[in-house]
Amino acid sequence: MNRFAWAIALPILAGLAVMPFYVSNYIITFTIQTFMWIALAESWNIISGLTGYVSFGHVAFFGTGAYTAAILISKAGWHWFAAALTGSLTAASLALIIGYPCLRLKGPYFAISMLGLNEVVRALVSYFEGLTGGGSGITLSPMSSISPLYYSMGGVALAGLFITYWIITSRFGLRLLSIREDEMAAEAMGINTAALKLYAFLISAALPGIAGGFYARYVTHIEPIGTFPLLTTITMIVMCLFGGRGTIFGPILGATLLSIFQELVWTRFLFLHEAIFGAIIVFVILLMPRGILGVLQQRYRLPRTI
Amino acid sequence: MTIQITGTMILQGVVSGLLAGGLYAMVALGMALIFGVMRVINVAHGTLLMLGGYTTFWLFALYGMNPFFSLVISFPLLFLVGAFLQRFFVSRVVGAPELSSLILTFGISIFLSNMAMIAWTGDYRSVEFLTGSFLLGPIAVSKPRLVTFCFALGITILAFLFLNKTKTGKAIRATSQHRELAQVCGINVRRIDLLTFGLASGLAGVGGGLVSIMFSIFPEMGGNYVFKSFLVIVLGGAGNYLGALLGGLILGVVEGLTSLLLTAQLSEVIAYILLVILLLVRPTGLLGGRR
Amino acid sequence: MAGNRILEVRGVSKHFGGVTAVNRCSLALEPGSIFSLIGPNGSGKTTLFNLITGVERCDEGGIYFKGERIDQLPPHKISWKGIGRTFQVIRVFPELTTLENLLVVSRQDWEPSCRRALELLRFVKLDQLQGEFAGNLSYGQQRLLEFARVLMIDPDLILLDEPAAGVNRTLLNDLLSAIRDLRAQGKTVLIVEHDMKVVMDLSEKIFVLDHGEMLAEGAPSIIRSDQRVMEAYFGR
Repeated sequence: MNRFAWAIALPILAGLAVMPFYVSNYIITFTIQTFMWIALAESWNIISGLTGYVSFGHVAFFGTGAYTAAILISKAGWHWFAAALTGSLTAASLALIIGYPCLRLKGPYFAISMLGLNEVVRALVSYFEGLTGGGSGITLSPMSSISPLYYSMGGVALAGLFITYWIITSRFGLRLLSIREDEMAAEAMGINTAALKLYAFLISAALPGIAGGFYARYVTHIEPIGTFPLLTTITMIVMCLFGGRGTIFGPILGATLLSIFQELVWTRFLFLHEAIFGAIIVFVILLMPRGILGVLQQRYRLPRTI
Repeated sequence: MTIQITGTMILQGVVSGLLAGGLYAMVALGMALIFGVMRVINVAHGTLLMLGGYTTFWLFALYGMNPFFSLVISFPLLFLVGAFLQRFFVSRVVGAPELSSLILTFGISIFLSNMAMIAWTGDYRSVEFLTGSFLLGPIAVSKPRLVTFCFALGITILAFLFLNKTKTGKAIRATSQHRELAQVCGINVRRIDLLTFGLASGLAGVGGGLVSIMFSIFPEMGGNYVFKSFLVIVLGGAGNYLGALLGGLILGVVEGLTSLLLTAQLSEVIAYILLVILLLVRPTGLLGGRR
Repeated sequence: MAGNRILEVRGVSKHFGGVTAVNRCSLALEPGSIFSLIGPNGSGKTTLFNLITGVERCDEGGIYFKGERIDQLPPHKISWKGIGRTFQVIRVFPELTTLENLLVVSRQDWEPSCRRALELLRFVKLDQLQGEFAGNLSYGQQRLLEFARVLMIDPDLILLDEPAAGVNRTLLNDLLSAIRDLRAQGKTVLIVEHDMKVVMDLSEKIFVLDHGEMLAEGAPSIIRSDQRVMEAYFGR
């Protein structure tokens, strides 16, 4: 990263690091949520922004991580941090099981199969009541201070940024992009698209897995309907598309902007909020398919790796 | 928990399933047409079905209109809605990567279903017009299912006659088989796109009306039907419209049997696994279609 | 067995629904020469390319490269065996830069890849545009980029699908001399082409495909005077 980027990034990171000591609980809570959205948008970007394989059920990995952590904490007495990290393992395992067959499907067929994935995971969670508490869910004891969660969730978002940066500036990332641009040509040139897609998918599932794990600790009560909502998938898709799919900072930009808007304007009316997200999706696809950063890249000839 | 599964129960499941399957077939036909002609996966198809359902419901609840009669209104109404969506939104992504249309129609469906939620609340509604069942030997045949099946069958037959016997219908089939060739032959494909989307939306709307009689409707119901329609298309083979019919019946029967033997939740899981296996093993469908 | 043949297609067929695109087709290529595959539209030339490169599976027959059977392999593995191709409709990666289009397919480490990529860009005279998004290049420039991209993987057998289509005279001459250079390096080239002048000038041997079947094969002078070839193109 060049000096300009560091000059902006360091103060922001420093500011975020000390923020919990100076601001209200409300702001801390809001920032934790924003960190979560950043991590989710970044994860969706890794699979869908880069390879073009639209994952419509990505919240399934988030929910899997949440339930893994909650079960480990409440039933096995694990520490929440380790439990959340394990959430990434179960999420990645799920991605491996689903991804191995489904990624062979061409683009639109993959998207539809992912649409069903979320519903299936939710149904399974409800079914295995003994483990997951079924419809009533799992409750954890409240935390005395949420600062550790603030730094943890921030850490996930930051990790997501570094992973995205590393991928996009590497040849691995170039190859993922070639899948999006023209998978057939990529294969003809010797790129093992099947394996690469799977790696990207696994990485893109591990991140929400950890985020879900921290989320479970943060909200202290999870149950199937609230943990696997379609709205979460929609939100992370909109945030990524809005900011700029396939870019490094696009998901962060989109997640931050829309998280602020969400908090200020729309959380009062849930359905209007969702309807507006639908309208934003339509707007972005028709008029701004490459997002804000995509427009800037074309207009001002910015490099691909921003 | 094990229950005694008798032959009668199985037959019951099959019959009930077939009756529902006719409806699935009709709805899936619409989605198959859009996919065939424009290579667009219309995720909003289920939402259009929902709107059709509410049309029938409100005409019944407010004006006491016979819900089967209201289909005459919901078809053209949803035809126009579909044509509008196609003209101003979907037409812009025909030819773009298929995923653009997927996400676009997804956005439209989110918008519409939430507006419906705001307007009509999330309560389940159904049209209590036909109730009860009669006995056919040992099998209980549900009246609403039987009548809606007949309507679905009739409308599907009409649709097929339209596709096979009329000039426009043949143009639609030609476009779906080979778009460039159709253009070369003088077919105005943009007009065909519009008509196809309208026709499919009309079919979805009518389907929704029938669902309101047979089951119940609520704003978020669309996704389920999109998934089912997609499953049907995959079963029957993309581009194979007759196959979609068969696929619908198969889905209905499978659903009928699994809900008998397992919980409703698990039957969803079964449907999903079925879909994935099918896509992997025979992506051209059981009866063979295009890729 | 392999003799002096780098590619052998033996009795290969491909059906799409009721249509037979390729019907018991056979051909053999000797290394280090330029071959052309011609035939009227719809005769199955691109399908044959797709079968060789693994994009489509053969319904009958087999394909052998350097004596090894390749028709069951996935496309990327076939590519690694030493086969490269270009496409009838240009398939560059539009949102990658010109340079990145070459880097993404390279199989060497980063440093040597960059050097080789820049070399190839200079060779096709696109080095000034290395930072430009490939989607913004002109048609002819994209054709050259695709050509450079296939050279990047250093294949022994190169399949070119209509390399001259829509290309202006100057560019075409550069392309043709580049193809002759490849032969001088010992590579084998198989070209699908409609431009007869290019075909007659370049090739040592021509294969004629009609309705999925191999109609004739031989040196340009033989093909030029073959009655059946005339009929296939122009009817009786």
